[in-house]
Amino acid sequence: MFALAWRNIVRNARRSLITVSAVALGLISLIFLWGFNDGVHNTMMRNLQQVIVGSIQIHADGFFHHPKLVHTVPDVNRVAGLLKSAGVAHYSGRLRTFALAAGEDSSEGLILLGIDPLVERQVTRMDSKVDQGRFLRDNQEAACVLGRTTARNLGVVPGDEVVLLSEDRYGSLAAERVRLVGVINSGEMGIDRGLAIVPLGFMQQMTGMQGRYSEIVVQLQPARLEAVASQLKQGLDQSYEVLRWYDMYPMMKQWVELENAFYYIFLSIVLLIVAAGIMNTVLMSMLERIHEFGVMMALGCGRMQLAGMVVIESVLLGVAGIAIGVMVGMLLVHYFHGVGIDLSDQMDSITRFYLNPVVRTEIDTDHLLNTVLAVLMAALLAAVWPAIRASRLEPVEAIRHV
Amino acid sequence: MADILIQAAALHKSYASGDAVVKALDGVDLVVERGAFVVLSGRSGSGKTTLLNMFGALDRPDCGTLTLAGQDLLAMSAAERARFRLRHLGFVFQAYNLIRVLNARENVAYVLQLQGMDKKQRFASADRWLAAVGLAGFEQRRPDQMSGGQQQRVAVARALAAAPDLILADEPTANLDSHNGESLIALMERLNREEGTTFVIASHDPTVIAAARTLVTMQDGRIEAVNHL
Ligand SMILES: Nc1ncnc2c1ncn2[C@@H]1O[C@H](COP(=O)(O)OP(=O)(O)OP(=O)(O)O)[C@@H](O)[C@H]1O
Ligand SMILES: [Mg+2]
Repeated sequence: MFALAWRNIVRNARRSLITVSAVALGLISLIFLWGFNDGVHNTMMRNLQQVIVGSIQIHADGFFHHPKLVHTVPDVNRVAGLLKSAGVAHYSGRLRTFALAAGEDSSEGLILLGIDPLVERQVTRMDSKVDQGRFLRDNQEAACVLGRTTARNLGVVPGDEVVLLSEDRYGSLAAERVRLVGVINSGEMGIDRGLAIVPLGFMQQMTGMQGRYSEIVVQLQPARLEAVASQLKQGLDQSYEVLRWYDMYPMMKQWVELENAFYYIFLSIVLLIVAAGIMNTVLMSMLERIHEFGVMMALGCGRMQLAGMVVIESVLLGVAGIAIGVMVGMLLVHYFHGVGIDLSDQMDSITRFYLNPVVRTEIDTDHLLNTVLAVLMAALLAAVWPAIRASRLEPVEAIRHV
Repeated sequence: MADILIQAAALHKSYASGDAVVKALDGVDLVVERGAFVVLSGRSGSGKTTLLNMFGALDRPDCGTLTLAGQDLLAMSAAERARFRLRHLGFVFQAYNLIRVLNARENVAYVLQLQGMDKKQRFASADRWLAAVGLAGFEQRRPDQMSGGQQQRVAVARALAAAPDLILADEPTANLDSHNGESLIALMERLNREEGTTFVIASHDPTVIAAARTLVTMQDGRIEAVNHL
């Protein structure tokens, strides 16, 4: 039966080849588009996490929405122990509060973020975003890094002095004079404007918060995110909050999901075309063989066997198309992962923060699997009508058919 | 008493063609004994093919009774009829009997495959039957690489390979020249003698009629005469 189906496909080699190529071409374009899409999305999500946010942050409960200097992580050692047992080697403890920065000309309200430069390097890559001057080096130095817009508003350049004003742990005024050592030009407004990064040790000293942390930040592979997050949630009580990056910044994840949904719509349109192509071929080859089907029925071949043969023919066409499509599609994705697609001309400064100017294609396994499965389903779907037609043939009429 | 293979009584079959009703079978009674070599003759449109299709469990009469090899054909479902054809019947049609993508051996073996015989056995059997119909050496030929006469012989080999009770042939010589027609009918006669397989052949070919041992003459959907020769 299988051999017979195969021979029938090979017999009309030209028609079968055209169908298989159409399926393969459809699949190649879908895989490549997924490759581009996933490459862009994964880069964006990685960049968001890697530059400053991290994959998971642990705070005192409620801190994220109402950040207060004194509202710090209750027991850092407990968190550290949990992280260790979850297999997370590096984490960064930070301190965060509101502050006023004053430069030569003016002052501006901003967020003061204290980080330990040596530790932070193991968790995020905020140091790589400095494009004037340098990043912080020493945990105690009286230095700061500002975003480009804030630096311009304050009228300061690296080497200038900036006065930082904030509350200390008792609610009284704390003021320090620090040197601006570097300026970040990220393209992301939330960083370029309204953020001052200072050494953690220095900030703890300034605010009287020695040994205290507002946030514990870890960086994870996407595959481990959920497991670690739930492990942390289980290990910590109500006085903590464990937030994944998309709990804090849901927009990007929602956007990615929306775009994926559009891709699935596009996918179903392509599949419809693929299914129509396969059905056309299978139906044509079935209609050509009505007399032959009649003879086969006379010989004792059952209706279900005939229908089965038609389905097998359709699936064979689909599988052949899938084999070629996956091979060529993955080669393309692999090739453009290595070479990259240069889009620097098309990018403005905002997208540049999240996106690298050279897009490297990659494909999520579930997107690949879903697409392949969907094409297979399309091949099956395409067989339904021809198979029903075949099974409804009356032997006498089919034999008379020439 | 002779062993009865086919027993048909009062078979009727009408077709509506436009407004008129054509009585393709108009009360057919016929008994065919096992081992017979029957030729159905009669003018075009007299009902030969229709009757053959009834015997072949391919079609059902409007009314009447029909038993074949002791089984009531009219009580069977479509699936049961297919199984019955597979086990009890062999067919040779006028032309294009073979599956295009299969070679001679595979065409003969196809029925055996449907019967569930394993590959080695059915190929060996197919080769034996091809040799029996004079086609040794043609096992690998596909239908489009054989003459019409050779194709019909393959169809005969296929019909016989299934070891049926009855072989039904509808105008088997119509697409052949007289020489090929004669040798095909001679082949059928010989196999009827040697294997004891019952043949019912519909034909108005004089060569075929001349070979009949039972000649059934039909007219307007009725049996006009049955001559044992
Ligand atoms: N499917 C059908 N629809 C309508 N009329 C039919 C159908 N099949 C057969 N007939 C009619 O029934 C009658 C008997 O047909 P049948 O095919 O049995 O004749 P036949 O003896 O085999 O003729 P021929 O020698 O030409 O093959 C004819 O009048 C034919 O037109
Ligand atoms: Mg006829």
